[in-house]
Amino acid sequence: MVMRNINKIILFIILDLVCLLHTSAFAKDINFEATVDSNKVELGQPFELNLTFNGTQYMPALEAPIIEGFQARYVGPSTRMSIINGQVSSSITHVYTLLPARKGTFQIGPFRFEHKGDVYNSNPITVEVVDVVALPQTPPAQAGGQPEAMDLNDQIFLIMQIGKNKIYLNEAVPVIIKLFVNKLGVRDIQYPQFSHDGFSAGEFGQPRQYREIVGGIGYDIIEFNTTVFGLKPGEFRLGPATMQCNLLVQRQNRGQAPPSPDNFFNSDFFNSFLGGYQAYPLNLKSTDIPVTVLSLPEENKPASFSGAMGIFDFEASVNLLEVKVGDPVTLKAIVRGQGNFNTVKFPATDLGDNFKAYEPQVKQENVTKIFEEVMIPLNDGIKEIPAVNFSFFNTGTGQYQTITRGPFPIKVIRSEKTEELQVVENKRSDTTLLKEEKLGRDIIYIKATSGKLTKKGEYLYKNKIFLGCQVLPLFLYLFIVVMHARNRRFKTDVRFARQLLAPRKARAGIRLAAGYFQKENVRDFYDALFDTMQEYLGDKFHLPSKGITISVIDEQLRSRGLPETILAKIEELFSECDMVRYAASQLTKEHMQNSLIKLEEVIDHLQRNKV
Amino acid sequence: MNRKILIRLAAIGLLFFTILSNAHSSMIQQYFDLGNSAYKEGKYEEAIENYEKVSDSGLESGNIYYNLGNSYFKKGKSGKAVFNYEKAFFFMPSDNDLMSNYEYVLASLNLDLQYFGTWPVRFANVLFEGATIDLLTVLLSAIYFLAVALLICSLFFPGLKRGINVFLLFLSVVFALSAVSLNSKITYLNKGAIVISKVADARFEPTESGTTYFKLTEGGKVEILEKNENWYKIKRPDNKMGWVQKTDVGSLSE
Repeated sequence: MVMRNINKIILFIILDLVCLLHTSAFAKDINFEATVDSNKVELGQPFELNLTFNGTQYMPALEAPIIEGFQARYVGPSTRMSIINGQVSSSITHVYTLLPARKGTFQIGPFRFEHKGDVYNSNPITVEVVDVVALPQTPPAQAGGQPEAMDLNDQIFLIMQIGKNKIYLNEAVPVIIKLFVNKLGVRDIQYPQFSHDGFSAGEFGQPRQYREIVGGIGYDIIEFNTTVFGLKPGEFRLGPATMQCNLLVQRQNRGQAPPSPDNFFNSDFFNSFLGGYQAYPLNLKSTDIPVTVLSLPEENKPASFSGAMGIFDFEASVNLLEVKVGDPVTLKAIVRGQGNFNTVKFPATDLGDNFKAYEPQVKQENVTKIFEEVMIPLNDGIKEIPAVNFSFFNTGTGQYQTITRGPFPIKVIRSEKTEELQVVENKRSDTTLLKEEKLGRDIIYIKATSGKLTKKGEYLYKNKIFLGCQVLPLFLYLFIVVMHARNRRFKTDVRFARQLLAPRKARAGIRLAAGYFQKENVRDFYDALFDTMQEYLGDKFHLPSKGITISVIDEQLRSRGLPETILAKIEELFSECDMVRYAASQLTKEHMQNSLIKLEEVIDHLQRNKV
Repeated sequence: MNRKILIRLAAIGLLFFTILSNAHSSMIQQYFDLGNSAYKEGKYEEAIENYEKVSDSGLESGNIYYNLGNSYFKKGKSGKAVFNYEKAFFFMPSDNDLMSNYEYVLASLNLDLQYFGTWPVRFANVLFEGATIDLLTVLLSAIYFLAVALLICSLFFPGLKRGINVFLLFLSVVFALSAVSLNSKITYLNKGAIVISKVADARFEPTESGTTYFKLTEGGKVEILEKNENWYKIKRPDNKMGWVQKTDVGSLSE
C-alpha cells in the first residue's frame, strides 16, 4: 500500500516536471489553430469552435469572439498531453459553442491573440449554414448494431497515396496509407493491406502519428509508409487499401431513445474505461490508384548496367596501397541514394587473371549499400586495380547513368616466402554442399592370425608363483622396518647396545683366553677370563664393567632371579681369578680348562635365559 | 657314467616335449587356418567347427573368439556371436574391430550396451576399459611393489616423507580404482553369461513347469547366481532374478 502511494507520488512529480518544462515553451514553438466539428451545419443547430494552442497547456482563453452570423459562447478549456516515442506534446483547446443565426457561407477567423507580447494567428475556417430541411436525415443506428460506415465517412476514413503514377520497371516508389480520425474512439488498429498485382511491396515501417487540419477540421492521422516497385510493364491498379479497427461506441441505455451518430461519438473517450463504451469492428477501404509501369529503354543502355533503379551516388576505395603477392586487398564500393536497392548489384570490374577475387560481402543500411570484395593479387607485375563502373537507370531523369571510380594504383611486392603463389581454395564450402554419403554397415572381417594363445582360464591372478611373489615385498618391508628400528635403538639406547654387543665381545674374550690356555700362560689366561667375565656382566646388566666384583654380582644378580648354580659358578670364577692374579697361585691346566668351561656355561646360560 | 645317461635322457625328453608341443601348435594353427578358409568361402558352419576345435584344445585367444563371433553372426546366431565377442573382450578389450562388430550385432538385436554394478564400479570400469585382467593384475602388483619401495625409502630419507606420502595417496586411489575394476572383471568372467537362445524364459522355479517370470532377450547379459543341475539362477542388469535352462545361456567362465 505504501509502495503504491510512493509510486503515485513519483508519477505526479514526473508529470509536474513535464508540465513545468512545457510552461517554459517559447512562443515560436506554439502553434495556434482553429477548428470546427463540422463545415456544414443546420440553421439553429449549435456546433463547436475549437481554438487550440499546440505546444503549451497554459494559455488563457480568448474572449467570446464576435463572428458575423453566429452567436458565440465560451464553454471551457480542455488540455491534452501525450508522450509518443519519448516525445512529449501538449495542447490546450478553448471550446466555444457557435449558434448559426442565418443561412449562408461564412468565414470564421482568422483569429488573432496576443499574450505576453507574443502574437498568435490562427487559420480561417469556412462554414456553410443551411436550412434544416437541406441536410439529409441521418437514419438512427440500430441499438446494439454496427454503425453504418457511410455515416462516419467524414469522421474516419482511409486514404492511399503513391509517389507517382507513371513508374519504370523495378523503380521503387513510396506508398502512403493514412487513417484520418476525427473525434472518435478507435482501437485495435490493424496494419493496412492493399492489392498489388504486378507490383512487389515491402513491409510497412513503424506508423507515424500526427494531427492535421483538413478543411478546418482537425484530424488525428496515423500514417503507414512502404515502397512498391513494378514487376512487369503495363497498366495496373494499386489498391484499394483496407484496414480493420474497432470503433468505440457509447452503450445504449435501456429505454433511452436510439442515439444519433452525433451523441454516439462526441463523448469523452476515457469514459470507455468506465464501461460506457462498446467496441464495434470497422472495415475501412480507400480508393485504388491507377499506375502505369514503363519498360526500360534499350537506347544507351550501358554494358555494365545490371538493373539498378533509382537516383544513386557511388564511391569506391581500396584499403591498401602496397601489398605482397598472395596477401588480400579489399575493394570497398558504397552505393548511396534513393531507389530500389534490391536491384543494386556489385559494380562491374574486370580483374582479368591478375587477381583471385572472392564473393563480395554485402551490407545494407537505410539508404546505403556497401560491398566489400576481397581480392588477392597473383603476381608482382600488377600496378593498379582496374576502374569500377556502376550503372543505373536514373528514375529522376529517365536516363541511364554510369559512375566510374578508379583505377586504383597499388604496389604489389613479391612474396618472400614463395617464388610462385599458390592460392589455396577453401574446399569446405564445396564439401558441405555435397550430399551426406550413405555408408554401408556390416561386421568387420575376421582376423587372419590366431593371436597370442594362452591356456584356457589361465590368468595371472590365479598363478601361485605370482601370488607368492606378492608376499616378498611385505616380508622385505617388515624385515627392513625391524632392522631399521634395531639400528636406531642401537644408536640411541646404550643399554641395548651393550647387551647386544656383550656376547660378541665375550666370544672374543673366550677366544683370547683359549689362546692363553693353549700356551699354558696361566696369569694371562685368568686375566683374560676375568676381563671377559667382568665386561660381559657389565654389558649384560648395564653396570660399570670395572666395578663388577663378587659382592656386586651377589647383590645385582641374585635380585634378578639368577639360579644359584650359575651364581656359584660366577663366584668360583671370580675367586679363581683373584687367586691367580693376587695370590700368585699356580693352577693346573685342568683347572684352567674347567674355568674356561664354566665361563662358557655362564655366558651360555645368561644368553639363553632372559634375566 | 650314470650322470651322463641321465643328461642324455633329459635331453631326449626335452626334445620329445618340444616336438610334441610344436606339433600341437601347428595342429591348432591348422584348425584356425581351416576355419578362416571356410569363412572366406562362406561355409560358416565349417568355420565354427574348426574354431571350436582350437578352443576345445584348451587354448584360447581374443582372435579365435572374435572369428567365432563373426561366424556365428553370419550363421544367424546373434546370441552366440555376442557371447564370443564378450569372451574376446577379456583378451583384447581395446580392439576397435571387436567393438564395432559387437555394437553392430547388439544394434541388430535392438540392444544397448549393458552394464552391471553400481556407479563407482562403472566409473572404475570406464577408466580401465582397455585393460585386460592380466594387465590390471600386473598394474596392481606394480603399484604394490612401488608403494613398498616408497615406504622403505621414507624410512631412510625422512626428508622425502611428505612428498612420498602424497604420492602414496595418489597411488592408493589408483590402486583402489584398478582393484575395483579388476574385481568387477573377474566377477563378470566367473559369473557373467549371455543369452544365446532366440527365446528364453526365466522362471520362478528350476523346472519346465515353473511359471515364466520374464523373457530374456537374445544377446542380453545376465549374472549367474546359482547352479542347479540343468538350470542357472540368473540376475538381469535390472536386478530381476529367475531360473533359466543352461542351454539358453552361455557362461563366460566355461
